[in-house]
Order: sequence, then C-alpha cells, then structure tokens
Amino acid sequence: MVSAMILNRIVRLFCLFGLLLPLAVPARNIDLATVPERRTVQLTIYNSEDLTLVRESRVVTFKQGVNPLQFSWANTLIDPTSVELKFREPKAGIEVLDTTFPHDKPQMLYWNVQSDANREAVIEISYFTSGISWAADYLAIADPDEKALRLESFVRVKNNSGEDYENAQVRLVVGTINLVEKIAELAQLPVGRLEELKKEDYGNLRQKAARRMLAPAAPAPMLAMDSVAGAMAEMVAPKEVIKEGLSEYFIYTIEGTETVPNGWAKRLRSFEAANVPMTVEYRYRPREYGEQLTRLYLLRNDTASGLGVTPLPDGMLRVFRANGRDGLSYLATQNLKYAPIGDKIELNLGTDPAVVFELLKQKVYRDNFWLQIKGGNLYRKLGEDGLPKLEMEVQVAGWDEHTVYRQKIRNYSGKPISVQIRREIPGDIVFRSRLNPTLHDFQTVQWTAEVAAAGKADLDYEIVSRQGYNQKQNRVELPVDGVTAR
Amino acid sequence: MNRTRWLYPLTILLLCSAAPLDALARIKLTTLPMRERVEIQLDHPQVALVEEERIVPLVKGVNQVDFSWANTRIDPDSLVLRILAPPADQPLEAKVLSVSYPPNETALVWSVAASASGAVRVRISYVLGGLGKDFHYRAVADRDEKTLNLTQLLRVNNNANEAYDTAEFWAGVGERFNKPLGLNETKEVQLGRFAAVPVRKTYTSSPMEFGYLDRAQDKLNVPMHYVIKNAGGTLGQEPLPAGKARIFQDDGKGGSAFLGEDRGKFTAPDDELTLYLGLARDIAVRRTVDHNERQRIAGNLYRYDVTLKYEIENFKDAPVTLDLVESVRQIRNDVRGDSGRDPEWKLGDGTLRTPDPEKSDADTLLFHVDLPARAAAGQAQKQIHTLRLTLNNEW
Repeated sequence: MVSAMILNRIVRLFCLFGLLLPLAVPARNIDLATVPERRTVQLTIYNSEDLTLVRESRVVTFKQGVNPLQFSWANTLIDPTSVELKFREPKAGIEVLDTTFPHDKPQMLYWNVQSDANREAVIEISYFTSGISWAADYLAIADPDEKALRLESFVRVKNNSGEDYENAQVRLVVGTINLVEKIAELAQLPVGRLEELKKEDYGNLRQKAARRMLAPAAPAPMLAMDSVAGAMAEMVAPKEVIKEGLSEYFIYTIEGTETVPNGWAKRLRSFEAANVPMTVEYRYRPREYGEQLTRLYLLRNDTASGLGVTPLPDGMLRVFRANGRDGLSYLATQNLKYAPIGDKIELNLGTDPAVVFELLKQKVYRDNFWLQIKGGNLYRKLGEDGLPKLEMEVQVAGWDEHTVYRQKIRNYSGKPISVQIRREIPGDIVFRSRLNPTLHDFQTVQWTAEVAAAGKADLDYEIVSRQGYNQKQNRVELPVDGVTAR
Repeated sequence: MNRTRWLYPLTILLLCSAAPLDALARIKLTTLPMRERVEIQLDHPQVALVEEERIVPLVKGVNQVDFSWANTRIDPDSLVLRILAPPADQPLEAKVLSVSYPPNETALVWSVAASASGAVRVRISYVLGGLGKDFHYRAVADRDEKTLNLTQLLRVNNNANEAYDTAEFWAGVGERFNKPLGLNETKEVQLGRFAAVPVRKTYTSSPMEFGYLDRAQDKLNVPMHYVIKNAGGTLGQEPLPAGKARIFQDDGKGGSAFLGEDRGKFTAPDDELTLYLGLARDIAVRRTVDHNERQRIAGNLYRYDVTLKYEIENFKDAPVTLDLVESVRQIRNDVRGDSGRDPEWKLGDGTLRTPDPEKSDADTLLFHVDLPARAAAGQAQKQIHTLRLTLNNEW
C-alpha cells in the first residue's frame, strides 16, 4: 500500500543484507536495505498516563544464519527502553542474539537475529510511546417535555506522537487510577509516595504495569479493508466500540481499524442510547451546588435506561434540549465523573430563572435562659425562685434561640416540579416543621416539596438552637410530631 | 469516497475524491452546500447557540464533509451535526461515522455514510463566541404617573466575525423574529410592548439603604421610584430580564421629558421592577432616636425601650404616600452596640404600628405613611410619627 509506505515514514525497520556481514553493527557508508512494511498495528492507549502500547507486526524474510535488523524512530516519542522484538510465526528456530544501540545514531537500534533456516517470519515489535491520548465526551439532548433524553458517548483519539498510524486497531483503557496502583504495587510503595520514585524508575514500572495488565490482550488483527468494504455495503454502519471488562479495567476496542495521522484527532461514537428515561429535580444543597436552587437531570447508567453496558469514563458532557422545532437549546457543559454500571448520573443545569426560591426570616425570639451565678459552677434558670435578679455578677450562660423561616417557592416553569432542600444547621438544634423532614446526616435536614405548574409553596419551619450552657449535643433533632421539642 | 466542505468564514465542503483524510489528494472536487436557514438561540444567559440548516448532497457510501470556521470563535467541542428526517418519498438514510480534526486548522471533517445517493438536510449547531445580547427598556409614564407604556428591546451585538443573511432569533422571552445580521453590526429590535401598565410612584426613606441627606440635621434621603409589578394584562407571562431602562414622562404637549435611567434587575413574574428616579427634594423627613431606656431583666440581661421620632413635611401640592423603612438590627446596633445576635423585638404603641406584612420580616419594617398636600397658603403640614420598639433579651 503506497500510502502506508509514505505514512510509515518515521518508524522504519530495515533488513540489512550483505555478503560480508559482521556480527557487530555495520559501520559502512554504503548499505543496501529492504523495508518490510507494517502488516498490522495495534494501539492501546491509557488516557491519563500519556502512555500508549504499540504492537506492530511485519513479515520479514530471514536467511539461515545471522540477520541484522535495524529499527529506528527518529522524531517520535517512543521510549527506546521499551522496544521489544518477538517472533509470532514461527515461534521456534529464530532468536534474537543481541540488541545494540549505536552511540552515534540516536533513536535507532540493531537486532542480530539468528535463524536456523531460510524462512519468512511474522515478527511483532512492541514499544511504548507518548503523545497519543484519548478522551471520552458526551452529548445529551433532552426531549422537549424532558421525560427522556438521547445520550451519545464518543471517544476522541489524538495523535501527537510524531508517527502516523494507519489502519490501526485502537484499544482504549478505561481505569486510570488502577494503573497507578499497579505501579505502586510493583514499586512496593503506597500510591501517595510514588512521587519519590526516580523518573526513570517510574517509567520502567509504568511500562511493566501496563504490559502486565495487558498480558491476555488479543493479538493485533490482520489488516482490515473496512472502509473500502464498507463503502460497497448497502449502508456503512458506524463502527462499534466493543467494551470488555478486564480485571478492574474496561477496554474499549474500536471495531475494525482506524487511521489517525500525526497531528490529527479522531472522534468516534462509543454508543448511543435514545429515550433514556430521566427526571427533573430541583435541589438546594449549598455544599454541593452553592447558594442557589439548582436544576438537574437525573438518569441511571443501567440496562433499564438503555445504558449500563459499560461504566461511563470521565469526560465533558454537553446538554441540550430539543425545542420541538428541530432546534436545540443549549443548557450546560459539565465534566461527567466516572459513572459505574448501575450508578446514577446527575446533570447539573444551573439555576432556572422560571423558579423563584426565596428564604424569609420571619421572627426571632429567645427563651429558656440559664444564668451563671458569680462566675462559679452554680447555674439558675431565669424565672425560677431564688434568682438574685439584680446581681451584677449574674451572667447569661445559656439560652434557646428560635428563628422562624418561610421558604417560598414560585414555579413559572409550566410544569409541576419536585424540589429537594438540604440545610446544614450546626449546633444543638431542634428543627420544627410540618414538612416531614428527614436527616441527611447528623446536622443536615432534608425535605422535599412538590410545586404545581404556576403554583406557589410556602414552607414554614422553626429552628431552635440551644446555645451556650444549654448546648448539650451537636446534632439536629427532629421532633416526632414535627413541632414539639423534647 | 466523497468529501464536502463549507466555505467562507464558516464553510462546509463536500469533497468528492477517493482520498483519505490526510490531505494527500491534490485534485479535489468540492460542492458548497449553502445555508438554507439559520437560527440563533440566545435563550442561554451566557452563550449564543447558532444552528444552520444546509442541504448536503451525498453519494451512496462514505462521504467526507468538511466544516471550517476560520477567524470565528466557534467552540469546536460544542459542534453537533444532526441529520434531519428525510421526506417520506426520499428515504435516504445517513449517519455520522466519525469526526476528524486536522492539525493546526479551525476545521473538522465528518465522515457520513449514506444508504443511497441523494441530498440530506442537516442541522449544525455550535456555540459561537462574540455574539452577545442585552435587554433595554423604555418606559413612558403618563401625565399623572399612574400608568406607563413599557417597551422591551433586545440588542444583539455581532462581534463574531460572521455575517448572517437572515436568521431567526430567539432570546428566551418575547417572540421569535427574523433579521439579517451583518459583520460587526448591532441590531436592536422591539421584543415586547406593554401598554398602560399600572405604575406606583414611591417615596422612600430608609436610613439603612438610602442614608441621610444631612446627617447633622438628621434629615433622611427620600428617593423616588417607579414600581411596576410584573403581573396582570400582558405582563406576568414571562420574567423581565435585567437591562437598562430609560424613563420618560408624557409632557402633555405631545412629547416626553426624560426623567432618568436605571438598571432594572431580573424580575420574575409577580415580582416588582423598581426603577430609581432620583431624590425627592419636596419631602423632608427628620429622624431622631427620641427615647432609649434600658431595663435589667436579670444580671446582664436587659430589655431596651426605644422610640424613633419622624418629623415629616410634604411641600408638594399633591398628597403622597411615604414608605418608611427601618432595619431593627441597625436600630439595636445604634442604641446599644452590635451583639452579633438577631434582635428580638416587639412593636410598641407608637403611631407606626402596622407594618406592611408583604414587605416586612424579622429585621425589616416598612410602614406606609400618607402625607397630605401642602396647604393652599403654601404651608406644609408637619406630621410627627413615632416608632416604639421593645428590644428584648439583649446582653
């Protein structure tokens, strides 16, 4: 293939033939070389480690005896220590005698290969390179009535490695932290101390971890004429991205082969799911979303939703809503965090101007005063007999602070809405209301409200905060009947 | 394999050649699908989404469709190509296979498979930087300041380095409209017109919010506002987005007088849009703390009885209503210092006893005080009002 020869301009494999070949590296000015072309190539890309394992196979004709092979990779980001040569077919009768890295020719090595017969052999050269990365991204388009959405997932492979990879089988490793853990395991260090490793040691361990992880990897496929064959077919289908679990990882294998020239990026659809059921929820959770009522789309990465085949890797997610007139409304862009199979997915759309959310402080009062007498250990409740009323040495030591709030919600969105409110109230607290609240945690109250289309809701509650001497606990208490404190 | 490219700053090209994506092909045939329709969605507060429809000829098999956007600020990650449903009599199925991004170019190449040769209608959506919008209002009050005509204007600023011969705009409120939008052009269109909207002219004194005109003489500022409720009639269907408002008044002679301008805040339905008109110099309000007495409850726990006195004069020849606003927390801080706690208070038997429940809360009190017009002789009648407060449980 002519273009393949042109594209594979950087990584070259030469078979050097000559009558008087010494066993050492040839040092002549006049050479004759043949260039066996790549037959297959497989890329396995780890997205966070800037690490790609390249496996390529080539067919080489060996003569009986010693055959020098030259492998060079000028202007690429190949790690020279990672280059390995294996014989795939035949497996016996051929062996590497030695490997030489000539001092005067960087980015080049020579193998001396001993063959016990004249034969054609399939060799596999593998190495690690930097500069190839992949990332997931997503497109979500909600229906106009916001009951379901179409979720499309993509993988984008970017090649800045200095080398063109044509008709390569592309495999993407999902699971980044685990590689670090594997490195830590090999280094016998905790993950947090990996920075202590020398760069060189880290690189070696990283390669080792990656190779070990991919030990059962499938051999690189034979060259597929997918695009040509596809054009002949009735209708070329988008390539499938095959997902398979491997230990703690997922490997996405792009169907067929891909050509990603140096400098180019290519984006392919990983999956698409139409009609993913979703709900809309409004949440007030200041710790997560800031001091605002936030609108969310909620869905699940499960089979019932038409998803759940694979975890969803981290990636940018763009959310639109179809406007029912072939058009879209842009809603938000967010970074989707890794979503395991079965887990929920929350798309944060920010505030909704059609829903007004106001908190009104209606009243404040204090009672249950306890006074400390003369700075000692004697405390008396205000109003009890025997309190030295006018003594200057009597100080307020404890009291209950009552604050009455009204949470007002007005819904102009045209649809009924569901609102969930969480309020973190530190201290010794009694939360009085008729809102059927629950405790999200020991100091966070949570309740929900449904607000009809064009409706309003006034959610009243009272916070009793036991202060000073009265504070015995640090938690929120919800009275059984909603309003009566113990 | 066919390849298409869209040209001009925003360009689509269909390239008919057997070349792969690597630009090795030197001989190309290119078709240029024109824009059939453009929609510009400005409903998002920060970003403009442009959607263009084009009819793209495809041949059976795999087609390369190039899209390039030289010198414009398209967010390439936001680009979405959707193939719209074909007409029933032309069931051509097309699907995007992949997208390729060439190096050092503001371009991408969609690889599109077609089940048969024919044309498909595609819609390309992208977020475009440099295309901004803002809202403006023009309010013309009638002679007696009871109603006004409110005009809502949308201004679209095109610094996106791309011209649109015609585009349908949608600003999230108001009607959709079609207009051309040239390079570096600003287009202003009327989005809504609300006639005879009831308006309330308010005179407000609030030491906390508006301060003193003359602190030494205890004279408060009395700003004037037009208050428009976003409700009733044609209003109240949608929020009024934030924007600058220019305020005029009918001068009774067929013209209008400019009263001033203010920045109107985002106003949800049923909320009030308040537009500042300036200070009223014909209403004088003197505010003093007339009485401040501390009573011990026990130990260091006290109760404070506080009386605020207001001497109010209306020099206008028309009766007005003054809104007196107080912050109880501020009063407490003034009379005994800030304890850091919310004040606990009770209204006493002063003349100001019934705050407006809609505009008052645990801290803020708002009283409406009716002021008669000055007498025919020119003498303004001084009104004395008192606000008595008990501040409980302070220490």
